[in-house]
Amino acid sequence: MITSTAPLLDVRELTVTINREGGLVTALDKVSFSINPGEVLGIVGESGAGKSITGAAIIDLLVPPLKRTGGTITLAGTRLDQLSPKAMRSVRGGRIGFVFQDPMTSLNPVITIGQQLCDTIQAHLKLSGSQAKKKALDWLDRVGLPNPDVQFKRYPHQLSGGMRQRMVIALALCADPMLVIADEPTTALDVSVQAHILELLRDLHRESNVSMMLITHDLGVIAKMADRVAVLYAGRVAEISPVGELFNAPKHPYTRGLIRATPMPSATGEMRLDQIPGAMPGLGAVPPGCAFNPRCFKAQSDCRATIPPLYHAESSAFSCFHPLERVTA
Amino acid sequence: MTPVVNTPAIARRRSRGGKLLRAMRRAPGPTLCALVIFALLIYAFVVPLFSLNPFEFSGMSVLDSFIPPAWMADGSPDFPLGTDDQGRNLITAMAYGMRTSIIVGFLSVTIGLVLGGSLGLIAGFVGGKVDAFIMRVADVQLAYPALLLAMIIDGAARAVLGAERSVGTAIAIVVMSIGIAFWVQYARTIRSSVMIERDQDYVSAARITGRSNLSIIVLHILPNVMAPVLVIATINLGIAIITEATLSFLGIGIPVTSPSLGTLIRNGNNFLQSGEWWISVWPCLTLVLFVVSVNILGDHLRDVYNPRLRGRS
Amino acid sequence: MLNYAASRIVQTLIVLLVISFIAFLLVANIGDPLAALLSADATVNERLELIAKLGLDQPLWTRFLHFIGNMLQGDFGFSYRTQDPVANLIAERLPATVELAFVSLLITIAVGVPAGIYCGVHPNSLFGRFIMLISTAGITLPNFVVGILLIAVFSVQLGLLPSFGRGTVVDLGFWKTGLLSVSGWRAILLPAATLSTFQVAFIIRMLRTQLMEVGQSEHIRFARARGLSEARIWYVYAIKNTLLPVITMLGLQLGNIIAFSVVTENVFAWPGLGSLFLQSIQGADIPVIAIYLIFVGLVFMVINLVVELLYPLIDARVLRRQS
Repeated sequence: MITSTAPLLDVRELTVTINREGGLVTALDKVSFSINPGEVLGIVGESGAGKSITGAAIIDLLVPPLKRTGGTITLAGTRLDQLSPKAMRSVRGGRIGFVFQDPMTSLNPVITIGQQLCDTIQAHLKLSGSQAKKKALDWLDRVGLPNPDVQFKRYPHQLSGGMRQRMVIALALCADPMLVIADEPTTALDVSVQAHILELLRDLHRESNVSMMLITHDLGVIAKMADRVAVLYAGRVAEISPVGELFNAPKHPYTRGLIRATPMPSATGEMRLDQIPGAMPGLGAVPPGCAFNPRCFKAQSDCRATIPPLYHAESSAFSCFHPLERVTA
Repeated sequence: MTPVVNTPAIARRRSRGGKLLRAMRRAPGPTLCALVIFALLIYAFVVPLFSLNPFEFSGMSVLDSFIPPAWMADGSPDFPLGTDDQGRNLITAMAYGMRTSIIVGFLSVTIGLVLGGSLGLIAGFVGGKVDAFIMRVADVQLAYPALLLAMIIDGAARAVLGAERSVGTAIAIVVMSIGIAFWVQYARTIRSSVMIERDQDYVSAARITGRSNLSIIVLHILPNVMAPVLVIATINLGIAIITEATLSFLGIGIPVTSPSLGTLIRNGNNFLQSGEWWISVWPCLTLVLFVVSVNILGDHLRDVYNPRLRGRS
Repeated sequence: MLNYAASRIVQTLIVLLVISFIAFLLVANIGDPLAALLSADATVNERLELIAKLGLDQPLWTRFLHFIGNMLQGDFGFSYRTQDPVANLIAERLPATVELAFVSLLITIAVGVPAGIYCGVHPNSLFGRFIMLISTAGITLPNFVVGILLIAVFSVQLGLLPSFGRGTVVDLGFWKTGLLSVSGWRAILLPAATLSTFQVAFIIRMLRTQLMEVGQSEHIRFARARGLSEARIWYVYAIKNTLLPVITMLGLQLGNIIAFSVVTENVFAWPGLGSLFLQSIQGADIPVIAIYLIFVGLVFMVINLVVELLYPLIDARVLRRQS
């Protein structure tokens, strides 16, 4: 896809390693993707594929022994990987907002909601105390919390899980960042609440046109929210496609396997569930060549010999020597 | 036909012994402390075999009193660490003092262990109202610092036994006071271990085969709960010795006729102001050295035997 | 909130009652009050008078009720050693010990808290490790050793501070204070420093552990992800989470302060409650020992109660757990 505007976030060859007894193990291996202004990019993959690590690496919040060891990250022309810690701090929250997964543990239990909002706002925007408070109340309203003045003085434990996650979203967005990274924003919530939160995210995205990087293992969420999707497998990018294309005409065999492994009714109404044989290799156990080759029905000798590079086709990109033909899944 | 249950108790005991040796090799600091403790134990028990007790026999001369350590101006090579106010060689005096301190410390820990252990076993095994009562008593006692309790028990015992007391009685009073002051921790640890173990299969198996409660407790449960208790005992040894030293320093512990390190420090304190610092400083340093080593070793053992970490190693 | 407070207060009163009963049993069963309080040539009438006055001929439960009743009116019995009313002895000695505890608490907060915070925020720095080493010494050294060392250095060698007594004491009528004179402050410094050694070491270690633990928590990570300054994250967001455990531990340490004050007062010849207690043990003065037992229990329970009633104000989650 030829874009006339430059991407908002451009990640190239991002590599993250983990320092274990015995040596360095690669957690993310030369991951590259980009996010355009106003778009929602879904990052999807199984548990352990490296999705959360990608998000954390972008804002330099990796937990040691994880370490970013290579690649470039460019946000609206600024090289994030070259910033000083102080400059990075103003990027976090100010230009990139981050939505954490578990609302039960991400909120400081002994500081009021209002205070946490105001602190974030004032850390990035030059506003007076009363102006910050007004903005905070405004955000509480926008994320759908009833009676903002009452909530302002409350503590996190006084809210339900769904309300807390709305609070987390408010905190991520209150300083008006240009990009939001949401790491499994609904996974820790009750099923009944998940749909509401997704709706909220979508509404906020539409209102402000903020770009979003949506990390999830749930293809259903991807289908609802994403414009384009990047599929991660064993720390590498398998495929990047627009969402419609991903579901209807996946290129990478893993992607098709992933879609088929999601339980959904077939045309005749039966539940179809096809598991991919085997399991994704763990850290440090990646086979030579293409990481998926032991489980791939199309694997050939070149797949085992070299790691397939990310090949950019017209509208999508994939790293496979023998991609799938254009056939509906 | 009830299946034969392989009692894991014995198997667990054996594997713990091997683990201990390996762990000691891996930790140089605590091993060094163990050596220091061993050296001090030898000092405390071997030196008295080769010298007369300076507190019972008057082989010393008052002319020898207040001699400073050998490296100082008026020092003498006969008395490397100096002498006290009665002309006693400090090396000998401290050996006897250290011996008393260690013996009293061990006895106190044993009393605390036996008392706390029994109460903990009963509370854990029997449960119900007995358990609740014992734990309530423990809670009330925990409101008081152990040192204070030891002092109170000591004072009450003195009042009951009157002014005429032998050294043996004084030692018994100190040992009982410290033991009673410290039983709670042992009781709690054993109680929780027992409560875990009593629901295990091998206990049910033993019950089915008709063993009495007492033999179940002693033969089966006890070996499995000993490890954490021994760790506590090691740490408590340091605390017990310091508590005894404090009681003796205050004059309500071991009497001067058969002193512990605490009594020696108390005695030496009288001469601190006039410059004869060595009489109290050497016992101070020896006491601290021993207790610090015991504490470090105890801390290390506690980390090694921490049930939460056991799975990882 | 009221339910929580009421239940805690009731529990405290029950425990105090039990402690009082134990203390009463000590007084009732140990020692001979007649021998202690009367001279050797007392007449039979005087003996009978004293028996009636002390209620020694009454049944146990009546005596216990009198015991409690007397205590509530300020009558704590008579010392076997000096024949003075125990209440007087306590009133005389109380100010010295209270001031000592107060100054030692000041030192603990002024020295321990900043050092502990520093160690928690910069655990691997050179200074941080140095502080930890000193704190290890503070925890393991017995109280009297610290006192002796301080005297050896500051009194004997340097001659800067006195090693005994309270200095010049100003009489305010009901309270004799040493804090209104320079010599009073010089005299209280070494004993207070000795008394606070263990507390300072303890609070340093506690704060360090707490801060290191909080620093790993998810909500601190989120705070970082929002770009808050390190200063704000540590000194507001992290520290507020450590307040509850630290205050709890300080409250619990109070018992230790009371115990160690006995030793410290002995080393420095400080005329406070601690030395009174020690003298009563040496002299088998049961009434004083018993009252001290109740007094310590009372102080400990009240402080604990105050701390527990403060919990909900610091951490609103506590009330929720109670319901």
